Amino acid sequence: MSLVAAALVAVTALIALDESGPASLIRHAYLVPVVAAALRFGAVGGGLAAATAALLSAPLLLPEIERSGLTDEAVEGLVTFAVLGLVGVLSGALRGRAGRHRRRYEILVTIQRTLAGEAPLDQALARLRAALADRLRVDEIALVARDGERLAVAGGECVAARSLVARVLDTGEPAFVSDTGHDARPRRAFATPLISGGYPVGVLAVERNGEISVGERAALETIGAHVGVALENARLASRQRRFAAELEERVAAVRRELEELDRAKSAFVAIASHELRTPLTALQGFSEILALRRLPPEEVTRLAEVMRREARRLARIVSDLLDLSRIERGLEPALCRVPVKIEPTIEATVDLFRQWTATHLITTECEPSLPVVDADPDALERVLTNLISNAIKYSPAGSAVRVGARALAGAVAIEVADAGRGIPAEVVHRVFEPYYRVPDAAGAAHGTGIGLAVVKALVEAHGGTVRVDSAPTIGTRVTVVLPAPSGPFLDTPRRSRVG
Amino acid sequence: MWALDQPYAPRAEHLLADTPLALLAALAAGAATVAALVELAVLPAHAARVAGVTAAHGALLATALAWARAGVASSSVAVSLIGLAAATAQISPLGALAYLGPGLWVGSLAARGRLTSLGLGTAVSPGRVAAGVLVGAGLSSHLLVSASRTLGLHVRLDQALEVLVAIGYDVGANVLAGECFFRGALFRRAERRWSFAAASTVATSAYVLRYLVDPLLPKSVELMIGAVFYLALLGAINCWLLSWSGSLVPGLASASIFFAAYRTLGVR
Repeated sequence: MSLVAAALVAVTALIALDESGPASLIRHAYLVPVVAAALRFGAVGGGLAAATAALLSAPLLLPEIERSGLTDEAVEGLVTFAVLGLVGVLSGALRGRAGRHRRRYEILVTIQRTLAGEAPLDQALARLRAALADRLRVDEIALVARDGERLAVAGGECVAARSLVARVLDTGEPAFVSDTGHDARPRRAFATPLISGGYPVGVLAVERNGEISVGERAALETIGAHVGVALENARLASRQRRFAAELEERVAAVRRELEELDRAKSAFVAIASHELRTPLTALQGFSEILALRRLPPEEVTRLAEVMRREARRLARIVSDLLDLSRIERGLEPALCRVPVKIEPTIEATVDLFRQWTATHLITTECEPSLPVVDADPDALERVLTNLISNAIKYSPAGSAVRVGARALAGAVAIEVADAGRGIPAEVVHRVFEPYYRVPDAAGAAHGTGIGLAVVKALVEAHGGTVRVDSAPTIGTRVTVVLPAPSGPFLDTPRRSRVG
Repeated sequence: MWALDQPYAPRAEHLLADTPLALLAALAAGAATVAALVELAVLPAHAARVAGVTAAHGALLATALAWARAGVASSSVAVSLIGLAAATAQISPLGALAYLGPGLWVGSLAARGRLTSLGLGTAVSPGRVAAGVLVGAGLSSHLLVSASRTLGLHVRLDQALEVLVAIGYDVGANVLAGECFFRGALFRRAERRWSFAAASTVATSAYVLRYLVDPLLPKSVELMIGAVFYLALLGAINCWLLSWSGSLVPGLASASIFFAAYRTLGVR
């Protein structure tokens, strides 16, 4: 600036020393500092330099006009200053426009580069804010972007209700405030929406102690639109990456599940073969003994009882397998529902177990006057048999197994409790899965791992629920709740939910 | 950041809000009464000048102080001090020293932080004050050279006392009231609403108009054109100085220097 001023003064001095007066050819030398000022400081600089040249020349030109009127030389001098002003302003304006375009392209490149990474939204916004603050030459800048239900904010803590940014987010229209009213000097604020797909996805807000011209505001709107699109692209890319990662994770999880299922099925085939062979071997052996030997009547009765028990066991396993097959096909077990009194059913089932096993003390605790339930008697017996059988299998000899029933509002709860080792809390939720066997229990007793899955399917087919409460080393309690309608039952059996 | 954490309410305050209309009316009535009494030869002719100076500069300064919400009492004191100075200056040239009164009063208000909205009492770097001095010196030099070469008006030092009285009037009333009102109050308020260009145009136009209607301005075409040129330039540059520095002090310096130079020409 001082060089320009010095050049203007020097040219004026040379004109003053020249005898030609205001029409001296040296006046054209004003072009050099004027254009230099225009190229350095823009239109304002060029205009001011030209005006300064005119001011400096005025004491030379005006007395000439006063003395001789508007002579050709005087007009030439006036035209020279008019041209100087035009050149200064025009070249400065062109330089300013070129500079603005260059800055805008640099900003757009900055936006693309900043948002090209894989950073999370908050980090990307913070980096973009820092980059824009450098280039926009503003005192304060904030970027806000919608991220689902929340707002990601860079440059502040949060967006206050009824603030300028909140208003722009609501309306989607840019807003300019000529003075925030909180400083001694006027402070301008401008907020423009970040547009993507025609919708505001965020806000770019700037504040400056000084002008934010109409041109700058238009440029900020363009930048806002670019940031909106770039943010949306970054968001989509990030979502795509996240989806890909999730998909990969899910495929891996499904593969693990399938492998586990495959292992479980293989184990099941082995176990089921063993479980089926055991009663078959007993039946085959005892039937051969009965066929080939003459035995006393008491011994025949005992062997027949053993054969009957093994046949029942075989039938139960086959029924469970059939039910499991239906469950796996997405069908519910076939039921033939009639009014069933709970207490006799429990007593009958427990009596059977009392006959078969002397290792456990099986007690029953049924409330008097239990309501009847609408159930399939065979299915109910299988539920009880499975639960009591499990309780005996997984509790130590000599311990007690308690079977009880109590009335609830519109339902009957049946509980089977043992004093066994219990089930670890982390696997309790898996005991109803087909083929699943609690790791500790797998070696403790024989079993197919389908009993509780069948129990759950049967109970739910009745509209009831089943729950397991277990405490390691204390025992396990299974509670079955069956609905007990209060209305009269039909005497005839009813088929329900036949898949 | 204000745009994020402060509630936004569109500006409802009028541009001329807080104008002390009662005080202005009283000043106008007083000036008119004195003028009538002078016309009727009840009061000497000098009384009209005292009343005019008090009413014109008092009105500008009182309005500026009122817009800065310095209180009615502050405005009244400022008007009284201007009136007192105008009166004592008429009695004796040494009475012009009383023009220090309004300046000291405004200075004391600024020191108490009551005029920050006018750009007084805020921190300003010596460099920015120096810029104001340079602007004033540049314009003054140009004025003196141009006046000398075009109008044949030269610097006169033969009536130094009269020049000093005029400079006292400028510093204590003319420049003080003009800068406080046209820059500190009007330009600042306009700039809070509009762009710098619009605000400086409004403030500078009002500033030039105020001098064109001033009965003390010699009614010669050349002088009026010169006044418009220099006052417009001074007004616009002082607007920029205020906006750039955030303080009214550089503008006060440039205007004081310019008017001091003008007084040395001995224009009547």
